[in-house]
Amino acid sequence: MGNEMNQTEAIQTSQPMGRRGLFRLGGMTIGGAALLAACRKTEAGTLGRVGEGPTNPVLADPIVDNGVLLRTLAGVELSIVNAYQRMLDEKLLQGTSATFPAIGDLTTLVTTFQKHHVKAATTYNRLATDEGAESWDCGNTHLDAAYLSPIFDRVVLGVKATDNAKAIAPSDDTVRDMVNLVFALESLSAESAQALVPQVTLATIRATAMSIGVRSARQASLTALRINPSSYVSAADAANAQPGVTTSTPAPAAAPAASDGPPLTEIPLPVAIPSQFGELSPVIYVGGNGDENGVRLKLNFETPSLNSLAYPYNACAKG
Amino acid sequence: MDIEVTEIGHVAAPQRVGRRALLGAGVGGAALSLLPLMSGRASASTTTTPPGESTSTAAAAASTTAPPKRPTDADVALLDFAQQLELTARALYDKALAAKWPADQLVVVTTIREAHEAYAQSLSGLLGRKASGTASEALLRQFSTAWAGTPDKLLAAAYDFESAAVATYAEILGKLQGTDAAQLIASIQIAEARHGTALADLAGSSDVGELLVDTEAASLLGKG
Repeated sequence: MGNEMNQTEAIQTSQPMGRRGLFRLGGMTIGGAALLAACRKTEAGTLGRVGEGPTNPVLADPIVDNGVLLRTLAGVELSIVNAYQRMLDEKLLQGTSATFPAIGDLTTLVTTFQKHHVKAATTYNRLATDEGAESWDCGNTHLDAAYLSPIFDRVVLGVKATDNAKAIAPSDDTVRDMVNLVFALESLSAESAQALVPQVTLATIRATAMSIGVRSARQASLTALRINPSSYVSAADAANAQPGVTTSTPAPAAAPAASDGPPLTEIPLPVAIPSQFGELSPVIYVGGNGDENGVRLKLNFETPSLNSLAYPYNACAKG
Repeated sequence: MDIEVTEIGHVAAPQRVGRRALLGAGVGGAALSLLPLMSGRASASTTTTPPGESTSTAAAAASTTAPPKRPTDADVALLDFAQQLELTARALYDKALAAKWPADQLVVVTTIREAHEAYAQSLSGLLGRKASGTASEALLRQFSTAWAGTPDKLLAAAYDFESAAVATYAEILGKLQGTDAAQLIASIQIAEARHGTALADLAGSSDVGELLVDTEAASLLGKG
């Protein structure tokens, strides 16, 4: 009896599977597959390619070393040189300013500043080649494309109308916008030198870079005093120094808005000594005419970073 | 007999799944689940190293010896002198503030005096117990004579002192190894450079060479 029972069960399991059994088996297979897939590593890499095709391009290593940092600063200095040259060539510093009526013609001063930046670029390039890097003999690509070109275009040419925005007229005060740009660029040069100090490995490079930064900081201060005479220290520092004395923040540059238009964006006025310590914060530039809502172009100049470095595989455009 | 058993089995156990079927399902599921993994492997083998990974390794290989962050023993001596210089400046500005100043000049001179005190305090933070915390007697003797008289004379004396401080920091920066100290000294130096231009303008100078301090004073390092 016992033998018969065993024989029966053995034979039963070898029978062909029914429809329900097949469904069950399929479900179990899918469930098992999902479970195993969930347990595998998440980094699967890129998708596999089917068929023949070109291989992915191999990008050069973005090495950041003394040479890269130094030739980047050479590019920044040359961008400043080129910007000043355009101001001088197009006589953008001459004429009167409705916002700063007493500022006068800063052509001579900016020419003096330009010479300093030419020397600065040469110095940075010399240091870069000493470090085994190639010199950088054109403006910083990022600074030119993202900051200087848009500023000159907005100030000198304005903006053409598009399907969804009205045209913006050229600047209502070109001299004001150019002098403010000079201040922003001098501050950028000074901050860039200061920002370089903890990044490079040699003390001699730090000292040389700071000799450039010191001069640029003084030029920024002098420009600030031309724009905003007698505004030596920030209101906050003055208040901290003399708690009992009431001080006031200098009013932003008066915006001669059109009588029927919206109020224009106020332009901050610079001071000679903006803070107790050297700043590394973005330098705010506001300029150009306002759009249909009165909003002027506003940009934050920042010291060079990973997206604006002159890597070994970067080169100046030919021609 | 065999036929009978077969018929019974077909009717009696239609819903049961056998061991073989279970094993087959398991193997099939495992094979299916491995497919995407295998395809990922295959595709990964055709690509190059991601740029992010190569950056770190390449940068590490290319960079020279990283400088220390904290001040070295040699740095401490330089920083201690820097603090003495700042405390000397504070003492000289305190002396100058005893004079009768116009209100617009007073606020600038007072602000610059406060800045020098802040520099000395920052250097204390860096030096800790190693900070001497005193002004330099030698520097005080050297500059006290010039720091006297009318506001105009005091502004000229302050201008010279700020220029000397900038030159001193240039020399110190050329020797410092620790990046924390170099960073602080650079931020002090660049602010003191601006002091010179502001003081020259405050004194009424219109000479661009003087305003931009074309002729820097001599370094005070080693004279403390």
